[in-house]
Amino acid sequence: MDELLRKSIFETFSEVFETMFFTFLEPLTEPPAKEELGGGRYVEATITYSGGHTGCFRFYFPKELARNITMNFLGVDAADVQESQIEDTAAETANMAIGSLLGKLDPGGNAALAIPETRELADFSPEKLLAEPGLSLFNTEFGILWVVGSHV
Amino acid sequence: MAFNILVADDSETMRAVIKKTVGMSGVPVGEFHEAANGKEALAILEQNWIDVIISDINMPEMGGMELLKKVSEDEDLKRIPLIFVTTESSEARREEAQRLGVAGYVKKPFQPEAIKAILYEVLEKAYEHRMTETFDEGGGDDMDF
Repeated sequence: MDELLRKSIFETFSEVFETMFFTFLEPLTEPPAKEELGGGRYVEATITYSGGHTGCFRFYFPKELARNITMNFLGVDAADVQESQIEDTAAETANMAIGSLLGKLDPGGNAALAIPETRELADFSPEKLLAEPGLSLFNTEFGILWVVGSHV
Repeated sequence: MAFNILVADDSETMRAVIKKTVGMSGVPVGEFHEAANGKEALAILEQNWIDVIISDINMPEMGGMELLKKVSEDEDLKRIPLIFVTTESSEARREEAQRLGVAGYVKKPFQPEAIKAILYEVLEKAYEHRMTETFDEGGGDDMDF
């Protein structure tokens, strides 16, 4: 992934997280040490686009991060957040982040976004993502957001 | 006089956020209807008096552009202003929406103030008399987020 794309990803994702979830992203240039990569509950959100440009982005939210952005998005307490809302917020995050990114990468509007898909991963270790090309990592107060993306 | 609002978005949480934002905007809301796609929105429009539609573009089954097209082609519905709140931000998409008669366009992610501003602008243009009556009665307080 070239540096210009990586910069655009950070800018657009930061805008989404700060504006909608009051959450700040810090880009990580180095992955965490393997011994720090324990398994756990994650929410995966996947979104693709095609037409003129094609791309696929997969977001891996630690469950705690997904829960907290949902709370901030809805303006409710943890006890009032439903599981379906957590997955829905992850999907909407992918939609907003990649929709905004596409506005920059494809100003002619030829590419069409697909509907994002989500699933909960019960015992997922992000270690397996380390070898993937197009990996971006963002540190947050509630864990690391892992994003694997491709754009052609 | 209150306004009946229809929000079409496939994200339940986004609908809830928009509902809350509209509620805090000071615009008097009568009925608030929700649809998960354009098809559901049309079914609601057939059965209910709606004053303004706030819609996403990227939705399953029927997207916002097709909804806008159907609304603008329908003799009974074309009076209803439609505002897009969407991630689709390319100039080409905006031009297409304008050609189809969209009343307003807000890009996601959005600040609540952006929804308030476009809602007032669109309602004042479409329902000038009702808006004047409403605010003569003391409505339209500033938002407090």
